[in-house]
Amino acid sequence: MKKDLKLSDIPQRNPYQVPANYFDRLPMRVMERTAAQEQKQPTLWQPLRLALVPVVLLLLFVGAYFYSMPDEPEQQMVNLASVSDTEIVDYLSTYATIETTDFAELSTLREQELPAELLNVSATAAEEELEYYNLNHIDY
Amino acid sequence: MLSPSNFLVYLLLLAEEELLNKPVVYCFLPEPAVSAYPYVQLEDKELLEKFAQPESRNMAFNQLVRKYQQKIYWHIRKMVIDHDDADDLTQDVFVKVWKNLDNFRQDAQLYTWIYRIATNECLSFLSSKKRKFFLPLNDVTAELMEKVESSPELAGDEVQMKLQKAILRLPEKQRLVFNMKYFDEMKYEEMSEILGTSVGALKASYHIAVKKIEEFLKHD
Repeated sequence: MKKDLKLSDIPQRNPYQVPANYFDRLPMRVMERTAAQEQKQPTLWQPLRLALVPVVLLLLFVGAYFYSMPDEPEQQMVNLASVSDTEIVDYLSTYATIETTDFAELSTLREQELPAELLNVSATAAEEELEYYNLNHIDY
Repeated sequence: MLSPSNFLVYLLLLAEEELLNKPVVYCFLPEPAVSAYPYVQLEDKELLEKFAQPESRNMAFNQLVRKYQQKIYWHIRKMVIDHDDADDLTQDVFVKVWKNLDNFRQDAQLYTWIYRIATNECLSFLSSKKRKFFLPLNDVTAELMEKVESSPELAGDEVQMKLQKAILRLPEKQRLVFNMKYFDEMKYEEMSEILGTSVGALKASYHIAVKKIEEFLKHD
């Protein structure tokens, strides 16, 4: 008999039970929980606090950036002001001269034959300009 | 203040005191926390409309819980077996319903939407149980099986006990399908909406579940 037991032979019933009055009380228990959740609803301060976090972080970052910036430009201004004219002239006469390597670069440029479209100027106009400034015959 | 039922009990106790001729110690427990709202079964549409209005929100939610609590509780209970677990999960489901009912799209049925929340809660609960105790699937089944065996409601009913144990041997999702069809007599279309599975697949799953159960019944 046991081997032939089919699902359809078993009476269909819910075998479990609940404590007495369980379903009478359940709605109020659920509502107590929802009421507690409502009390925990975020106030205006909570979203505001969340929004303030990136702002504060940004301010901290900007502050840290400016704080850590070196004061060199100001120092240079002070130094330049304290340098006498004679020293400036001496410096320029010593270091601000055109080196021969600068001319070497110029001569290589000339050899490269830059295309006219790159220079955006016609050959005639270029010749005229050179003649006007007398650049073809520069004496060093 | 004594309620009418407690007053009646009080009179009976006084009578008992007189009859026994000795003092009877008695105390009255507070009335059970039952709802202050009279239960009127409302249509889902009406419930949702009332829930949307702040002045009738609580009343509508109370009616909603009363309308669906038994179906949801039993759906969960058959999955987790233990009453306390089912009680916690049922409350969790309705709290979730409360939180999300404003966002509920009315193109789905309220009933199937709540069922889907309950189903997900059940599956999450069983998964968390496996993770929490590092239990493989079989050990969770064994744990549920023990609960069935120690259930006083099934004591003395050998056939029901066998059936419940056979159902527990099914994989979780197939067990869901079986319970929804066999006990809740739900339509495949509704099950499809809840479980997100095609009607054809559900029919096949139920058919296989029945075969498996009958096999278990034969060999157990």
